[in-house]
This record gives sequence, C-alpha cells and structure tokens, in this order.
Amino acid sequence: MIEFSHVSKRYLGGYDALKNITFRIDAGEMVFVTGHSGAGKSTLLKLITLIERPSRGQCIVNNKNLLKIPKRRIPYHRRDIGIVFQDHKLLMDRTVFDNVALPLVVSGCSYRDIGRRVNAALEKVGLLDKSKLLPIVLSGGEQQRVGIARAVVNKPPLLLADEPTGNLDEALSDEIMDLFLDFNDHGVTVIVATHDLRQLRRLRKRVLQLQQGEIVNDKAPIP
Amino acid sequence: MKNYFLRHFQVLFFSLGQLAKSPVASLMTIGVIGITLALPSGLYLLIDNVQRLSVGWNSNTQISVFIKKETSEAEVNKLVKKLKSNPAISSVQFISSQQALAEFKELSAFGDVLNSLDHNPLPDVLLVEPKKSITEHEDLKKLVAGIAGHSEVDIAQLDLQWVRRFHAALNIVQRGILLLASLLGLAVLLTISNTIRLAILNRRQEIEITKLIGGTDSFIRRPFLYSGWLQGMFGAILAWLLIHISLLVLAGPVGELTHLYASEFRIQGMGAANSLSLVAMGGVLGWLGSRLAVGRHLREIEPR
Ligand SMILES: Nc1ncnc2c1ncn2[C@@H]1O[C@H](COP(=O)(O)OP(=O)(O)OP(=O)(O)O)[C@@H](O)[C@H]1O
Ligand SMILES: [Mg+2]
Repeated sequence: MIEFSHVSKRYLGGYDALKNITFRIDAGEMVFVTGHSGAGKSTLLKLITLIERPSRGQCIVNNKNLLKIPKRRIPYHRRDIGIVFQDHKLLMDRTVFDNVALPLVVSGCSYRDIGRRVNAALEKVGLLDKSKLLPIVLSGGEQQRVGIARAVVNKPPLLLADEPTGNLDEALSDEIMDLFLDFNDHGVTVIVATHDLRQLRRLRKRVLQLQQGEIVNDKAPIP
Repeated sequence: MKNYFLRHFQVLFFSLGQLAKSPVASLMTIGVIGITLALPSGLYLLIDNVQRLSVGWNSNTQISVFIKKETSEAEVNKLVKKLKSNPAISSVQFISSQQALAEFKELSAFGDVLNSLDHNPLPDVLLVEPKKSITEHEDLKKLVAGIAGHSEVDIAQLDLQWVRRFHAALNIVQRGILLLASLLGLAVLLTISNTIRLAILNRRQEIEITKLIGGTDSFIRRPFLYSGWLQGMFGAILAWLLIHISLLVLAGPVGELTHLYASEFRIQGMGAANSLSLVAMGGVLGWLGSRLAVGRHLREIEPR
C-alpha cells in the first residue's frame, strides 16, 4: 500500500525533518507513527498526501509513484486518501451534513448518492441525528467524529490521522480510536500519528517510532 | 453530461446564495459597477440622440455663390445655364445685386445709410441647391470647389457648414466617450477583481480544506468566476435601469422643446441589441475581473 525508500525531507531553511526513511505498509494494516514533538510524524503524512514533496527518495502510495504525479493530478490522488486532522478542519458555516458531503461534491457524485452515503457515514460515527446542526454547537469529540465521517465518506482505501485525539479526554480518545479500528477491520489501511502511548498499549498495533527524523523502532503488532 | 450542467447550475445558485448572504457588500459592488457602466453608456446614448436630431438639418444644404463685381449679366446667365446642366445640381436661383440691396434695405435698419451710398456694395448671388442624393461631405466639398473654379465666381460657400462641423465635433466626442468607456471598463474589471480577491481571502480556510480533500483548481475557481460574472451582469442591469430612469425624467422637457420646433423628434432608449450588449459586456468584465483575482490568489493558498 505504501512504500518509502530512502526518503529525506529538508524544509526551506535547511532543517532535515526526515532522514533516509525506508519502510513499507501493506494494504489492510493499521500502523501508529509515534515520536517526540518535531520528530517528523506530520511530515511523513504530508509526503503521503503530497502536501509536501520529498527532497530525496521515492514514495509509492496506492501503487502510484508519487514522483510521477504532476501538480494538477494531486486532487485525484487525494480523493483516494481519507485525512483526519487534529483540529478537524471543519467548515463552521456549513451544516454537519454539508461538511461530510464535501468530498462527494468535489468528486462530482450524484445528488442521490450523496444523501445516501453521507447518512451512512454519519450513522457509522453515531451523529445521524445531528446532521442538520452547525459544527460549532458540537462538542470536541463530536466535531472530531464529523471529521472522521468526512474522511471515510467516499470509502478511501487509505485513512490517515494526525493526532486525532490530541484535544480529547481518555474516554473520547478510546471512542475515536475504536472507530479507526473498526474501519481497519473492514479492510481500510489506517495510519495514525500520535504520541498517546496509552492508545499504543491498548490497541497493540504496529508502531513506527521516529526520532529526529529517523525510524528508530518498527514494532510489530502484538497478537 | 446532464450531471455536468446540473453541477454548473448548482454552483450558479450557490454563488447567488453567497451574494445574498452579504447583501450590503454585494449591493455596494453592484452599485459601483452600475454607475461606472452607466456613465459612458448614457453619454453614448445622448450623443446618439443628438446625432439623430441633427440629421434633419442636413437636408436643406445650400451653396451661396458670390459673383465677381465686374461680371456682366450675360456672363452670369451663361454661368447659371452651365450650373443648371451639372447633374449634381438640382436648382439655381439668381439674386441680382439690386434685388439683394432692396431686400437688405427692407430687412435692416441701415436703409438710409445704404441710400446715401453712390454704388451698390452687394454682389450678385446664385443660390445653388445640390441634388438630395449628394449627402457625403466629400462630394459636397468637391461640388463647391468646382463652382468656385469658374472665373466669374468670387466665393462659393457651403451654407449650414456648421452642421457639418457639429457632426465632426460629435464624432470627436464619441471617440472620447469610447476612450472613457475603456477606462471605466478597466475600472469595473479592477473593482470586481478586488471584490473577488477579498472573497477568496475570506474563504481561505474553505479553499485549503477543499484542496485537501481532492477539490481540483477548476472546482474551487468556479464559484468565484460565477460570482464575478453575476456581479458584473447585475451591475450592467443596474446601469441600464439608471439610464432609462434618467431618460424618463428627461422625456418631458425634451418633448416640450421639440414640440416648440414642431419636430417629430423622440428621445430614444438603448434598443434591444445595445441593451443586450451592455449586459453581456458587464458579464464579460465581471468574469475577466474575477479570473484575474482567482489566477493570482488561488495559487497562493496551499494546505500546510
Ligand atoms: N513548513 C515547514 N518549514 C520548515 N520547517 C518545518 C516545516 N514543517 C515542519 N518543519 C520542521 O520539521 C520538523 C518536523 O516537523 P513535524 O511537523 O513533522 O513534527 P511532528 O513529529 O509532527 O511534531 P508534533 O508532534 O509537534 O506535531 C519540526 O522541527 C518542524 O519545525
Ligand atoms: Mg505533527
């Protein structure tokens, strides 16, 4: 599903956020990316979504060599990836329904399908009864679940989450992580960047540990 | 294909909704565009009407031919005959110097002064009327020059030359208005470009998110282009209304004035074709203006 070989990322200004990273994630895996603040977790995810380009090395995502994706094809690449953000990046002046519908609208889905699929996604995250509300009136955990519904609404094979539980208490964090686990059980490849060690211990999935831009540990899942 | 049109329709309504969401700002933009477009269009219409009004004055063009003092009556008669045979001339009227003097005495208060003169100061005059078919200024000028070329003729002068001059002046004014229109068109372009720029900055986060979830540039661009197009078009419609309201206000006084001159003249509105071009022009300017802003500012907004 994802293959990085000898990937480095140097930001403008000369800071090396990732140094010679090589790893592989198979389809259907669930992987945590962890490490101290500034270790390069977000950078890694940004390379996958082509928000950033690597300075060196080669990335293959969904069987596509990212080097060969020109700028104008980037939107189509991103449609195959669901992204969940720590600050959930919802549109506060649109209803929950409209927020979740956005990826479908963007890819030109028909009206009938949009209604059906948005409701299915909202049901999955348990927010069907709040679809008419504006996100501002929702709690932090609910907002994050709207973000997750938006990420999965067009059934991407790959789901990325950058600190999805950063602002949530333990119970809500468990709830969110269990959602990811559930998508993974349904065959979605999931990558979660987090420094929530409690979740790592609880879910016992594969862990990629970064330190100063290098992979220092690749722990296999504990059965 | 049906989906494609449906989507454009949705964007159109979305853009309309966005405009309606901030009515004051939208109306202000549309107002500025309306006034900016009304100015050159209204002036143009005014000139057009004045031109139509003055076309009537052209029909009774006359050439006054002043005969040299020492010319004998026989020579003048020969000249009259010659002129009458000219295919470009419809009639020639001879006014002898005595006739002219008598008329002049009658009409002016200088009768006594003229009586005291020992000779007639006035020349013989021929009033030459060109054929109606000769309307081109150049042809008339040639005719006048031809008449002036006869040895008996002192001066040949095209009367109502001021009508010609007036038309020439109108032409210059029209050019000026065209120039003004281009400048104001540019102003409309920049107004819309700036409005759209602000709209883009206002919705920066939305654009960023849309890019993150796979929205293409053309998808993101579309509502802004529609918005610019709509505002330009609404501005042009407002300009049209402003012009025609002004015409209604002017219609009364103009009617009275032309009635005094027993003229059939009626002030005329823009007509369907010109109205449509005005609205289309507004739309095009709006679209171009937003295109300008979108091209520059959408590229700058990239997710980080
Ligand atoms: N756009 C950028 N320009 C320059 N330097 C950057 C940029 N983005 C990130 N960095 C630097 O790269 C390093 C890695 O950043 P990154 O965001 O990947 O860390 P992280 O592991 O996600 O940290 P955190 O846990 O705090 O989110 C940091 O030192 C950061 O300052
Ligand atoms: Mg980070």
